[in-house]
Amino acid sequence: MESLNLAHAHLLLNHLPTIGFTIALCVYLAALFVKSDSLRKVGVVLFFLVALMAIPTYMTGAAAERALCPEMKCPPEINPQLIRTHEDLALLAFFFMELTGFFSWLALWQLRKSSQIAGWNWSVVLVLSVVSVGVMALAASEGSEIRHPELRSAAEESLPAIENSESTGYAKSIGAVVAGNTGVAWLWPAAEAVHFVGLCILFIVVLIVDLRLIGMAKGLSYKALYQLLPLGMLGFVLNFITGMLFFLGAPGQYVNNVEFHRKVLMIVLAGINVLYFMLVDETWAVGPDDEAPLRTKVAAASAIVLWIGVLYYGHMLPFLGNAF
Amino acid sequence: MIEFLQWLESTSLSTWVRESPSIFAFPTVLLLHTVGMALCVGISAGVNFRILGFAPSLRLSPMVRLFPILWLGFWMNAITGTMLVMQDATNKLTNLDFYTKMVFIVLALVVLARIKKRVLLDPKVDSGPLNPSARTLALLSLLFWLGAITCGRLLAYVAPLVEV
Repeated sequence: MESLNLAHAHLLLNHLPTIGFTIALCVYLAALFVKSDSLRKVGVVLFFLVALMAIPTYMTGAAAERALCPEMKCPPEINPQLIRTHEDLALLAFFFMELTGFFSWLALWQLRKSSQIAGWNWSVVLVLSVVSVGVMALAASEGSEIRHPELRSAAEESLPAIENSESTGYAKSIGAVVAGNTGVAWLWPAAEAVHFVGLCILFIVVLIVDLRLIGMAKGLSYKALYQLLPLGMLGFVLNFITGMLFFLGAPGQYVNNVEFHRKVLMIVLAGINVLYFMLVDETWAVGPDDEAPLRTKVAAASAIVLWIGVLYYGHMLPFLGNAF
Repeated sequence: MIEFLQWLESTSLSTWVRESPSIFAFPTVLLLHTVGMALCVGISAGVNFRILGFAPSLRLSPMVRLFPILWLGFWMNAITGTMLVMQDATNKLTNLDFYTKMVFIVLALVVLARIKKRVLLDPKVDSGPLNPSARTLALLSLLFWLGAITCGRLLAYVAPLVEV
C-alpha cells in the first residue's frame, strides 16, 4: 500500500462522477420518454449515489495536488495555473452535482410519500444534472491536461507560470476568506457554531426515527416518522456547507488526515444507509405499535453507529489526526 | 476568588483532564460533551419541530418515551461540562460567555419541563388542538438551545486551547 497514495485514489475515483452522472442522466431521460416511474426511481437513486461518491473524489483532488506539488512548489513540467483552473471547475461541478444529489433525494422522498415526483422537482433534477455533466466534462478535460501536456493547446502552453500556486483561483480565494486571512476572523468560529447546530438537527432524525424502529418509542408509525427525514437532510446540508468551508479554508488539515478519511467513509456509508429507509417496503409497513422487522432494526442500529462514527472522527480530527 | 479558581484548576482531576496524554482525558471528555449535546438537544428539538408543524401526523404523546435518552445526554453533559470548566477555571469562570451559556441552559430546561407537562402529557394532545402556548414554548426552546450551543462553541475561543 506504500506506493498507492491519495493521488492514485483521485485518478481511480475521478472517472466515477463523469461516467456515473452521464449514465444516470441517460436513465433519467429514458424514463422521461417511456414515462416509467420505476425507471425514474433508478435515475434519482443513481444521481444520489454518484453525488455521494463525488465527495471523496473532490477531497482526494486536493491530496493529488499535494502529491504532485509538495509544499505548493510544482516541478517544471507541471503548470500550477492548470491545477487552479481544474480545481475551480471541479468545485463548480461538485456544487452542481451535490445540488442534483440533494434534489434527487427529495424526489425519492416525494416518490414514497405520494407515489410521484412533484412536477417542479422533476425539471429541477433534469436541469441541474445536465449542467453538472457539462461543467464536470470541462473540469475533467482541464484535469487531464495537468499530466498530459500533449493535450494542451498552444494558448494554454503560453500561460505564464505563476510562482505560488496558492495565489489564484476561486477555491483558494474562498478558502482564504474562511481561514480569516482577509480579516474576517469571525467566519470560522461562526461556521463551527452552525456545524454544531446542524449536528443537533441531523440527530433529531437519527435518534427519533432509529430509536423508534429499534423499539424504544412504540406508538409512532414509520409513515409518520418518514415526514421527519427532510429535517435530517436540512441538518446534513448545513454541516456539508460549513464542512466544505473548513475544507477550503484549511485543506492541509484534512487531505492527509486519516481521521478525516474515516469520517468521509462514514458519511458515504451513512448515505447508503439512508436509502434503506427510503426504498424498502417492510420498513414502510411498520404501523404505530408494530415491532419492526429484524433487518430494519439492524439498519436503524447501524444508522446510529454510523452517525456517531461521523461525529467521533470529526471530533478526533485534532487529537488523533493533524488538524488544530 | 482567584485562589479558589486556581485550586479548582490544580485538583488532580483537572490536571488529568488537561495534561494527560491519554486519549481518554481531554479528547474523550470533550467527545462525550458533544455526544451528550446531540442526545439532549436532538430529542428536545425534534419535539419542538413537531409542535411547530413538521411531520404533522407524528403522534406527540409517545415522544416522552425518548426522554430517558434526553436526560442521559443532559447528565453526561453536566458531568463532562463540570470537568471541562474545572480544568480551565481561571479562564472559563471569569468569562461572561460561560454564564450566558448557563442562563440559556436553565431557561431551556424550564421550557422543556413546561412542554412536557402542558403538551406531551396532555391526555388530548393527539386528538384535540395543542395547548395555546405550545408553539411559543417550542420556539423559545429552540432559541435557548441555539443560544447555549453558540455560547458553548465560543467558549473554546475565550482562552487559549489546551495544548494537545
